[in-house]
Amino acid sequence: MIQKKICMVGMYGTGKTSLVQRYVHSIFSAKYHSTVGVKIDRKTVEVGNETVNLLLWDVEGRTDDQDIPASYLRGAHAMFFVADGTRRDTVDQLFDLRDHARDAAGDVPSIVALNKADLQDQWVVGAQETSKLISGGFHVLKTSAKSGEGVEDSFKWLAKATLGSPPSATDNQQVRNAR
Amino acid sequence: MLAEVQAPARVDIAGLSHPGKVRAANEDHFAIMTMRKSVELVATNLQDTTVLDRIRRPEAHILVVADGVGGASGGQLASGLAVRSVVEYLAEAIGCAQDFDVDHEQTFLEHLSRAVERGHERLREMFQVQGGPATTLTMVTLVWPRAYVVHVGDSRGYYLRHGRLRQFTRDQTMGDYLVDIGAVTSQHAEKAGLYNVLSSAVGGDLVPSVGVVDLAEGDALLLCTDGLTKHVPDEEIVRMLSSGPAKAAAESMIDAALAGGGTDNVTVVVAKAE
Repeated sequence: MIQKKICMVGMYGTGKTSLVQRYVHSIFSAKYHSTVGVKIDRKTVEVGNETVNLLLWDVEGRTDDQDIPASYLRGAHAMFFVADGTRRDTVDQLFDLRDHARDAAGDVPSIVALNKADLQDQWVVGAQETSKLISGGFHVLKTSAKSGEGVEDSFKWLAKATLGSPPSATDNQQVRNAR
Repeated sequence: MLAEVQAPARVDIAGLSHPGKVRAANEDHFAIMTMRKSVELVATNLQDTTVLDRIRRPEAHILVVADGVGGASGGQLASGLAVRSVVEYLAEAIGCAQDFDVDHEQTFLEHLSRAVERGHERLREMFQVQGGPATTLTMVTLVWPRAYVVHVGDSRGYYLRHGRLRQFTRDQTMGDYLVDIGAVTSQHAEKAGLYNVLSSAVGGDLVPSVGVVDLAEGDALLLCTDGLTKHVPDEEIVRMLSSGPAKAAAESMIDAALAGGGTDNVTVVVAKAE
């Protein structure tokens, strides 16, 4: 079976663990626990005619005084960047995080989840920021680990991308909807 | 994939277990083992000794703690059987540990998880009833600098770096689970004793948590059963882990747990990279 290592990367508290929990176990925890090191979950998905075993490396988030160890990112087949749509700083750091990830793992497929889409009243990411991300080469999706919005789609999109499959028109439409 | 294998000067490891002051039996077990396939160049007149770097093989240090539940004899049997099964499985099956190919890291992790499942199956075969004896099990396989973690239940794993103690395992209890999903408050869980009920256990409902932590020279690693953490605060643990050899740190922690009440069995395994 094909195995693909996907690293969840972002600032602390953006919801990386919650997205994995929602995707793998269909649960949501409102209580925040910071991840120490890496927590590894697996999910088997069908992509076209292929069965792919996704190894989801939920990597501890970047903090003001601690960067993400590059050793965790080495050998990754894809990066799943997560920003919190209610915290502008987590979006601002995405380009730097991508550089950091590229240094460690090379130029692998990636996606950006603008997470916590259920918190619309606190949302601070406007069309301009989203366009900047898209024009910077990111595929962007709005997600909510709480409601499940965009979660399945984002992992599915990335799984396809790791196989080199061109995302379908429907997949790209979902990405555009993040604007 | 695995970071480049680098050997620390030495990994100093010690483990201790004590029944405590109240319990008649010790339901905790631990094991420490080192796996190595070394090629030792005894003497040479070669000018270029870089050959040493090529033939040197990394060591794997395997550290396990387990805390049995299910009545004194049942709990003791469960944790002992689980640890023994893990040790047996790894000794037989983990030939791959002798050559840590970075491309095979996932296979290596699967072997570690499989070792825990073996313990689970043995317990299930032995008792064949729901609610039979079960055990926590926290295992770290240290292939410097990476620590591979397989964790079940509410024993704990920590590492200490620059005076900061970080817990890399999450307690798998009904209290933690129900509070996490918002079904009950922590006060309710505490009052109802839900933190004393395991949501995942070897021999029970097995949901192993798998992860990795990369260590650095000077770090200390601690695996322990809850007989330590219910009596010894984090700041005391930091102080004891911070100085001296692993054995002295382990002794200090057992002493502190007993001084704090010793109401439960207590087990600690300490590893320090020097």
